[in-house]
Amino acid sequence: MNVLEQVIEIVASVCEVDKTEVTPESTVGDFPAWDSMGHLSILSQVEETFGISFEPEEMMELEDVSDIVKAIENKMA
Amino acid sequence: MTIEHLIHGHSQASPEKTALISGGLEITYAGLWKEILKKASWFSRFAEKGDRVILSASKSIEFVYAYFGAHLSGMICVPIDPETNATRLGRIMDVAKPKFVVGELRNHGEVKVIPFEEISAEDSSEIFGFPDENAVADLLFTTGTTGLPKGVALTFKNQMAAAVNINTFIGNTADDVELLALPISHSFGLGRLRCVLSKGGTLVMLGSFASMKKFFGEMERCAVTGFGMVPASWAYILKMSGDKIGQFASQLRYIEIGSAFMPLENKQKLMQLLPSTRICMHYGLTEASRSAFISFHDDKDHLMSVGKPSPNTEIAVFAEDGTPSEAGEDGEICVKGDHVCSGYWGENAEVFEKDFFGDWFRTGDWGHIDSSGYVYMVSRKKEIINVGGKKVSPIEVEEVLDAIDGIEESACIGIHDDVLGEKVKAFCVCSKDVDFDQVKKILVQNLENYKVPDCFERVESLPKTASGKLQRLLLKN
Repeated sequence: MNVLEQVIEIVASVCEVDKTEVTPESTVGDFPAWDSMGHLSILSQVEETFGISFEPEEMMELEDVSDIVKAIENKMA
Repeated sequence: MTIEHLIHGHSQASPEKTALISGGLEITYAGLWKEILKKASWFSRFAEKGDRVILSASKSIEFVYAYFGAHLSGMICVPIDPETNATRLGRIMDVAKPKFVVGELRNHGEVKVIPFEEISAEDSSEIFGFPDENAVADLLFTTGTTGLPKGVALTFKNQMAAAVNINTFIGNTADDVELLALPISHSFGLGRLRCVLSKGGTLVMLGSFASMKKFFGEMERCAVTGFGMVPASWAYILKMSGDKIGQFASQLRYIEIGSAFMPLENKQKLMQLLPSTRICMHYGLTEASRSAFISFHDDKDHLMSVGKPSPNTEIAVFAEDGTPSEAGEDGEICVKGDHVCSGYWGENAEVFEKDFFGDWFRTGDWGHIDSSGYVYMVSRKKEIINVGGKKVSPIEVEEVLDAIDGIEESACIGIHDDVLGEKVKAFCVCSKDVDFDQVKKILVQNLENYKVPDCFERVESLPKTASGKLQRLLLKN
């Protein structure tokens, strides 16, 4: 599974939606469960899954799926 | 005098002043009043005075028009969360018996929901009188200690008194531009709406703190001077953006914080980043909104108190037998003032009177008043769990748990969480092996996300009183 697929899986499970509903453009607020609590839960699962951690100033920039994917890829590079 | 009266006054005195901003949309006070009249005309055509209307949305500008429009037509508003689950909605419908359900509601099942856009009359030339201040304006459904939602009835007079008390304490003026990132159908968000519009200020509607980029973006674009938040919002802002809010220190005149536990270090961090902002935290409940206030900078030696009684409000502590407690002694915190609710919808007067000692409303919270007049809350007598500002009745969760095969009985409590303040933990007595991952899946289908327990513990039995009443607080140890 590539990074995008893994992030989509995390977002889908936190937001309780089908994976097909989540796209690289899906962003905070798009699903009812993607509120501030959902957002924190997505970011902490991303940190755990990829063994990385984000600084507050990085976190603020992470709003949609592709932002998160890019940030992970940068950290893993 | 009612809030509707004041809004009308602003539409006459400063018609071009901006009342509401929502994304690219800006509405003046004259425009706001016109939209309110359109909604009022529609409602008055199809409903009688005193009929109830359920309104639901998290940030829609249309909600504001419908809310005041319904009031002007003589209807009683029942604002509810758009994520309300089907069981709770059913119970609210049973008690409120609404004429219409309007807005955005996800789990409405068979219930017909009218979109806001359909509530609009072409001809709005009808003349409306202002509401009678002793009439019921809103029913706010609380989580209730019995698990059944309770409809707290607030009159126009109650709401006006609360708005005056809050605006007096915080010092709001018509020049304020407030960012509303709280859900508008909840008591706190609605209260902020009434406070800002009654003063003739400007409200910027955001609906949520989820996107920090939007939060800071709107703060800059609209030159925001204040906002309301719950302690969990501050933990979130801090985690997501670090010290960034400090860049707005000179433009932020005030912040109102809702009542929930807030760690001392979080209060001090906020004070350090915003040294000249009036940071106010209220203590209150749906039945007696904002009964006490603390201003962090002014009361910096009493930061762990809930402050002193709000303007025009009295607070006293009573022993369980209804006699006043000695100074400094713990007892039930009781409140008196025009902001205290006027009844519980669908309940007889005796049930309502049980929540009073004479004319003092019993909050159900335990605490004392110190020698300098500061009120300290020691514990919530009620067992409501506060997950990031959202209230969870343990009974509501337990009902769903107990219906699951293999779970004999259960009890839920709030446990500490660094960001949310509290999260739900469930203790279950099981008759066979139960897979708690499966249990969680069933809960997710029946309850809002934040109500689903974060952790589970299997126990042999639950603590109970001699009469068999569950003692949830004992599980906290």
